[in-house]
Amino acid sequence: MSTGGEKGSTGGGEKGSGGGSSVKTPADFLKSIRGCPVVVKLNSGVDYRGILACLDGYMNIAMEQTEEYVNGQLKNKYGDAFIRGNNVLYISTSKRTLAEGA
Amino acid sequence: MATEEEIAVKEPLDLIRLSLDERIYVKLRSDRELRGKLHAYDQHLNMILGDMEEVVTSVEIDDETYEEIVRTTRRTIPYLFVRGDGVILVSPPLRTV
Repeated sequence: MSTGGEKGSTGGGEKGSGGGSSVKTPADFLKSIRGCPVVVKLNSGVDYRGILACLDGYMNIAMEQTEEYVNGQLKNKYGDAFIRGNNVLYISTSKRTLAEGA
Repeated sequence: MATEEEIAVKEPLDLIRLSLDERIYVKLRSDRELRGKLHAYDQHLNMILGDMEEVVTSVEIDDETYEEIVRTTRRTIPYLFVRGDGVILVSPPLRTV
């Protein structure tokens, strides 16, 4: 089955700019944002904001201090929230201030 | 080229394993929510839940008043297999006021 010659990582990722770009591939981005406040948008349009604990290659996500936004704020999830990767539309970093109290 | 990195950091599924035999909250597609005790799961998020309550939420909008009518339907199921492709989110039970 293995035809050889095709490496899975780094698809045509060689950009000509030698300007010291910090992120090369999406996989590198995913590794670099652990522990950062993120916004995760699902295919259904629901927003989740929290601190990214970890994720995997399927875009399954584990987050802490997660808040769910549908139009306005619906629910607060304290502790861990696991999101199945097929629902994820995007993961974005945000400079969210942890101002949320009780 | 054999410098394959070992996965030193836990995967999200490893953290779900910490919730085994604990009560969890599961959000499914079609506006469904489950609360029950997690007996088993796999990488697809297929799950076995015990002592489970399902809440189905439906919102109707009145044509004249444009008022939103939120209805919830509950049922309890002692033992259930949940297919993973319907799962959106898994979490320890909510403690909303």
